[in-house]
Amino acid sequence: MWRGPPRRRAVPTSSELEVELPSDVALHARPAANFVKTAMRFRSRVMVGVNGKTADAKSILAVLALGATGGTHLSLSAEGEDADAALNALATCVSGLVE
Amino acid sequence: MSHSFELARGLARLASQVAGEGVRVEPAGGGPDGSLGTTDGSVRDAITRADCGQGVVVLGDLGSSILTVKHLLEEGHTNGHVRLVDAPFVEGAIAAAVMSSAGMELDDVARAAEEARGANKF
Repeated sequence: MWRGPPRRRAVPTSSELEVELPSDVALHARPAANFVKTAMRFRSRVMVGVNGKTADAKSILAVLALGATGGTHLSLSAEGEDADAALNALATCVSGLVE
Repeated sequence: MSHSFELARGLARLASQVAGEGVRVEPAGGGPDGSLGTTDGSVRDAITRADCGQGVVVLGDLGSSILTVKHLLEEGHTNGHVRLVDAPFVEGAIAAAVMSSAGMELDDVARAAEEARGANKF
């Protein structure tokens, strides 16, 4: 019996991406808030790592506690159905951050 | 809002500095003669000063200061978009102020303050 095309399921995916903060922007105050605000648009679990420390990208206090200064490399990782989209949006957000 | 105006003012200054000028952080607290305590009037005035039309999040230092706010909210002295949050005083205020600076909605600002409970200092 023909059951129709195979049903597509939202398969959880994981993605990783390295981005660099603009040299004159630290991940504090409003830049950190904009970063968190971007992460919160997605369902995926998103983490951000700096110099061996890792934080939930949707938690403003955790992101502030990273103390990432201008020019720092951020290791972004996401797990979930929109992981790729989340990291792409965060990469765009980070490159456009201003003090 | 704190039993000590100095404590409330110090936290308001800290949160303002972290979040920037676009966010109104207003201290309230202390008794009328500089003693410790909280009064309806000081809290109501601070809420009015903080209100830009998009909502106000209120944090208190200890339980009995919370009663003052609850009393105000029940009496309807606010226009319905004042949110009392159950959050750590310092971390909650910083989280709320910073998220507010990014233009988050009241619900998200309140949630960020309450989630501050789970943040480790180190």
